[in-house]
Amino acid sequence: MSPALLEVEGVTKRFGGLSALNELSFQVDEGQIVSIIGPNGAGKSTVFNVITGLYPPDEGDVRLRGVSVVGLAPNRITRAGIARTFQNVHLFPNMSVLENAMVGMHCRSKAGVFGSIVRTPAVKREEETVRERATESLDFFGSRLAGYRQDQPAFALSYANRRRLEMARALATQPALMLLDEPTAGMNPRETLELRDHIVRMRDELALTVLVIEHDMRVVKGVSDRVIACDYGRKIAEGTYEEVANDEQVIEAYLGRKHEELG
Amino acid sequence: MGASARAGAIAGVVTIFLAAVGLIGNFTDLNLIGTQVTFALLMIVISPVLAGYVVTSPRVEGGERVAFTLGQAASAGVVAGALAGAIFGAFVVFVDVFGVDRIRPIFLNISPTLMDYLTQDRPAIVAAAIIVAASVAAGAAGAVYRVLPDGIRKPLGSAVWVTLLFGFLQRIVPIALDQLDIERDWLYSKVTRGLTWPGAILIALVTAGISVLKARQGETLRGAIRGRGNGERRGPLTLTPLSIVLALAGLGAVLIAPHVLGSVIAEVLGTVMVFALLGIGLNIVVGYAGLLDLGYVFFFTLGAYSLALLTGATLNTFVGSTDPAVALDLNFYVAVPVVIVIAAIAGVLIGAPVLRLRGDYLALVTLGLGEMIVVLVTSPWLGPLVGGPQGMLDITNAAIGNFGFRDPKHFYYLAFAFVVLALFVSWRLANSRIGRAWTALREDEQVADAMGVSTTSYKLLAFAMGGAIGSVGGALFAVKIGSLTPASFQVLVSIQVLGIVILGGIGSLPGVIVGSLVLVGLPGLLREFEEYRLLAYGAAVVAVMLLRPQGLIPNVRRSRELHEEDREQDKWAGDVAADEHVAQGPSPLGEGAG
Repeated sequence: MSPALLEVEGVTKRFGGLSALNELSFQVDEGQIVSIIGPNGAGKSTVFNVITGLYPPDEGDVRLRGVSVVGLAPNRITRAGIARTFQNVHLFPNMSVLENAMVGMHCRSKAGVFGSIVRTPAVKREEETVRERATESLDFFGSRLAGYRQDQPAFALSYANRRRLEMARALATQPALMLLDEPTAGMNPRETLELRDHIVRMRDELALTVLVIEHDMRVVKGVSDRVIACDYGRKIAEGTYEEVANDEQVIEAYLGRKHEELG
Repeated sequence: MGASARAGAIAGVVTIFLAAVGLIGNFTDLNLIGTQVTFALLMIVISPVLAGYVVTSPRVEGGERVAFTLGQAASAGVVAGALAGAIFGAFVVFVDVFGVDRIRPIFLNISPTLMDYLTQDRPAIVAAAIIVAASVAAGAAGAVYRVLPDGIRKPLGSAVWVTLLFGFLQRIVPIALDQLDIERDWLYSKVTRGLTWPGAILIALVTAGISVLKARQGETLRGAIRGRGNGERRGPLTLTPLSIVLALAGLGAVLIAPHVLGSVIAEVLGTVMVFALLGIGLNIVVGYAGLLDLGYVFFFTLGAYSLALLTGATLNTFVGSTDPAVALDLNFYVAVPVVIVIAAIAGVLIGAPVLRLRGDYLALVTLGLGEMIVVLVTSPWLGPLVGGPQGMLDITNAAIGNFGFRDPKHFYYLAFAFVVLALFVSWRLANSRIGRAWTALREDEQVADAMGVSTTSYKLLAFAMGGAIGSVGGALFAVKIGSLTPASFQVLVSIQVLGIVILGGIGSLPGVIVGSLVLVGLPGLLREFEEYRLLAYGAAVVAVMLLRPQGLIPNVRRSRELHEEDREQDKWAGDVAADEHVAQGPSPLGEGAG
């Protein structure tokens, strides 16, 4: 049996005395949309940072198609096929929208110093391809990032479009696995709905595997093949949305926390 | 009122400072226009003028900009000028009472010449009164100038500063005119050396006329642009016949420049181009990749000395010239590629240990690395190789056949060729996959890494490319002067080159050229001011940072980065107005653009 696309196995990450992740294990199968839910501080974003190499795990292993990526620099992991967005949008604000997406293509192109100075035919062709692919990934969002917007600096975009551009940039890295960190945070209901469709389309049209951290339960319900619930850096439940939503530990994690806050 | 008094007081103190460093006393004979307008006079009135100008900047009242009326402006300028004049006048009286001879041992430049000029044989108290009157006039002039309508203000302003500039260029323009056999006594007097009054008035009128014409032209241009749809994309540069003619004329002017302007200016321009090369190189490191390198002299030194060693230069010793411990005897054009490779490798070696450092830490470490090379070339340890403090002699003149390039007029062409080449390389790199990676790295290193840009490789590449271009600057410098001593390779070089990059506009290639013309060319031409070069240098960089932080010819992207704070505020308005569906919820506005 071939291994799952992504395997997270027994990952522990401590910050000082605090364990942000505690022996966390889960798998993501090819072609699925998996959501990670959990209260604030459950360690959801830390999982992403460990998977993409920003933090090395203290214990455990992360494997992509059975090959460990632990210890690789983030750019190598991106090249291996994991792309991500950030919880607080991180674009290159002064580069144009198109350039942002073109940076995503960086790891799929190879023009070197000599080629770039001389502009050999091969480099010209590659640059053209980069431009086309970047445009394609922007076009994934329909008219939102099309036309004149592509020449605007990224900071001039509206908030929702910044989120979309970040996803387009991640798409341009041509990943196998897409990590989305709270993609609908700060979006209005209409935009949230639209984004839900985009996530589904990533799976259905682009054949991507998507791991998404999400707070909006309507989105989670709408997109997820599987849901993983975390609390205090541990996995507390896993299954379909209905299974997880009715899990006692999950309810306690959300509601119990509320009681504490109120008390 | 309070603001005017404060500005006036500062202006008065600044004038005392200018007098104390000798910018007044030493330049009473530097006539700009006729015998009346001297550099000394300019130094006396400049501060009150600026004070008057500054205090009349539009106020913000109730959220609106309120400009001064003519009367208000004049009175504010008078107050500022009066206080400035009073302070400087008091200084004159004080020096007179206390005695120049007793002050001079400490303030060397507060000299009898200065006092003679300031008092003009009148009692000090009368002189002080005249100074106050002059200051008042100057302050009022500065203030009134500011509130004049644009149609008058701009032509007047450019007429004044262009005329003064021509006054300054009394060493250059007359020489050029003489070389071209153009009668010039009506413009520049041979007696006063400065502009004649008729000449000055002519220049002022012509400048004002051009300014008016330009304003009109701009109006029509703007109208034309507004007429076009703003949705269309900007195409590539279109080559109109006019732009081709202009480009060819420009190229022709650059090519014949050394012959028109003479050896002295050609020599200065050669130095300008050496520094332009250094600037282009440092611009890659600082401007493109965003790595602050304060030790750039390293590559300059490396280039100069490795070229010397590769092309068979000799050591300068007490007993005459001897061969260095290791030496090759390559042709200059064979040696330069080798120098470039050596410098690129050195760039990687220097870059490797500082990869993890950012900002201030990187700057400090590179500063140290830059100092090291000066110590190395001076040290007895490397003495047998590079001659220690005495340095090296007999460096190749890069001759092609019998055509050597030591002569300033010839060197100009060699340097020009290399500058063009470096500009081309730098420009191509900036507009490529590599340039994009550098920009991403500069904007957000961690995110660039997460998007697949190898931060390590691209930082090292920036150091290597920057170092390679800088080393060519060093190699050309060696050819230019023909001998090397460690004295030419001080930390000051790093600072000067960084100054060029900053003044011109970080990340901007035209900026580097303008920066080197201003910071290296002007001081080279104004030899009288040699002592004040660093003072002017510092003043220029401070002024640019305060008034135009994006540089003289800014790179669009970099100037945006500098205005990030403004943007954060604009976003409130922008976000609401720009998009039809405004992001909801509390978080979006709080979170930054990146």
